[in-house]
Amino acid sequence: MTALAKRYWHALINQKKLFIYTFLWSFFLWITSPFLIILLKSVGRNWFGKRWLPPELTLDWYKWALTIANIPQVLSNTLIIAAIAVTISTLLALPTGWALGRRKVPAKEVLTSIILLPRMIPPIAYALGIAQIFYRLHLVDTHLGVALAHVAICAPYAILVLSSTFEGLDERVLEAAAVCGASQLRTFFHVTLPLVLPGILSSIIFTFTTSYNEFTLTLMTYGPHTITLPVRTYLAVGEGYWEVTSALSIILIIPSLFVLFMVQRQVQPEKLVGGFKGV
Amino acid sequence: MSHFTNKRQNLITFLLLSPGLAGFFGLFFYPMLVTLFRSLRPEGQTSGWTLGNYAAFLSDPDFRGIIWLTFFLAITSTFLSILLSVPLALLLRRKPVGHRLFRLTILVPITVPGLIGALGLLLFWGSRGWFNLLLLQVFRLKAPLTINYTLTGLVIFYVWHYFSYTAITTLSTLEGLDPAFEEAARVAGATPWQVLRYIVIPLIMPGILSGSVLTFMAAFGAFSIPLITGGNYRPLSVAIYKQIGIFIPARWSAASAMAMIMAALQVVFLIFYMRILRRPMA
Repeated sequence: MTALAKRYWHALINQKKLFIYTFLWSFFLWITSPFLIILLKSVGRNWFGKRWLPPELTLDWYKWALTIANIPQVLSNTLIIAAIAVTISTLLALPTGWALGRRKVPAKEVLTSIILLPRMIPPIAYALGIAQIFYRLHLVDTHLGVALAHVAICAPYAILVLSSTFEGLDERVLEAAAVCGASQLRTFFHVTLPLVLPGILSSIIFTFTTSYNEFTLTLMTYGPHTITLPVRTYLAVGEGYWEVTSALSIILIIPSLFVLFMVQRQVQPEKLVGGFKGV
Repeated sequence: MSHFTNKRQNLITFLLLSPGLAGFFGLFFYPMLVTLFRSLRPEGQTSGWTLGNYAAFLSDPDFRGIIWLTFFLAITSTFLSILLSVPLALLLRRKPVGHRLFRLTILVPITVPGLIGALGLLLFWGSRGWFNLLLLQVFRLKAPLTINYTLTGLVIFYVWHYFSYTAITTLSTLEGLDPAFEEAARVAGATPWQVLRYIVIPLIMPGILSGSVLTFMAAFGAFSIPLITGGNYRPLSVAIYKQIGIFIPARWSAASAMAMIMAALQVVFLIFYMRILRRPMA
């Protein structure tokens, strides 16, 4: 058995380059072709049977999406909700992130993991509770209500990003500014703010995408007036119009693509998935 | 005096922390309490206490199927994610041509909305999708394979969606590894296979493990993917949603009892995860 494994291993090493690139490119295709096929589906007509590519191109499905699926309304719902969710989460996270990042907090590790708990528990568990509370408060099917439900999952994200931003702020730079005679206000606007601004921006971008993409919590709190893009896409899947659904998906995906490129440039990806890494 | 400033500082810290805590208690802790209380109420009533909802779910003939399916999907997809991530990380570490593109590719499934991924996967793996076209036209198969809405299909979709966590942590641990260990082993006469088996894999094990627990937890709590691509296979989260989405009147208490069981299991996994992270590197 081990002899066989060894021989196999050696054979692979001899064919190394070919093997490596076949593996990497099939991985790449496996991940990306679903998106390519959605893109083609959304602009293709009469794409039936054994065809690799759609025979005709059309923008009709996007027109359908705009009129039948009522995209302008749905998009404005999604953006309003995301804007409210981002504002509330950032306002919650700025002071809390500062305290966790820069001040002495008793049992900091425990506190951080508790605040991050909503990211680790399946949202459906607390979405049930949120739905019942919001029914009683008449917050269901309002922009504020759906946005508040999103804050449950956005705020931990913002706190995570902001506290690590503030933690990375070098005390010596601030002291240097003070030594050079800068007033506190001047230090804040000319030193502190420029240093933390990228962190705040990335927190805003993350919370925005989280809210824009959020499905579970929206599903439990939405109504006819607050249909968002993910919910509309889900409903469209149920209705069975694959072409229109594909067109919707292409619109839905755009912000996440932006984030993807930002992430690759600025943030270490392991920071995104961990959350509990420092604990 | 110093006692006084100390108190003042503590108060400021507390005030700064309070917005985040308010959000946590108002939008997570309190809703969880509501779910817990609801799970202890008789169905459709607002008073009275009962453990009947838990008993009903635990004795339900579907219960074993649901739990089995949830665990099967989570464990299989975690295992396959490790099998994919380790070679991927080992290759990407050497920075082959285009490694930036492949790194970006790893991030795709966790950045784009799960719904879109699910839709694309259904189109790609469908009976007229590219995968079956490849089988029919290049490999000359007689009939297309049914992958969508089967257990195999679900596992493929789960791995697609959740392998990123394992891949990212494995890759980052591997890149933090001091090459001196491997060089020492190689100088001492170890074959590449031995270096991998006895040096590299044990050293990156904490990274693989913590990533796999993340993959496992994400797969265990998966909702939108099985909701759309599951067909008749309904893991726990979808079963919970069906209680209020299909039954009229909605069965909130039953759904809450199932949600509490799910959350409790997830907390157990979480504790396991934190223990892995705390363990010092081997």
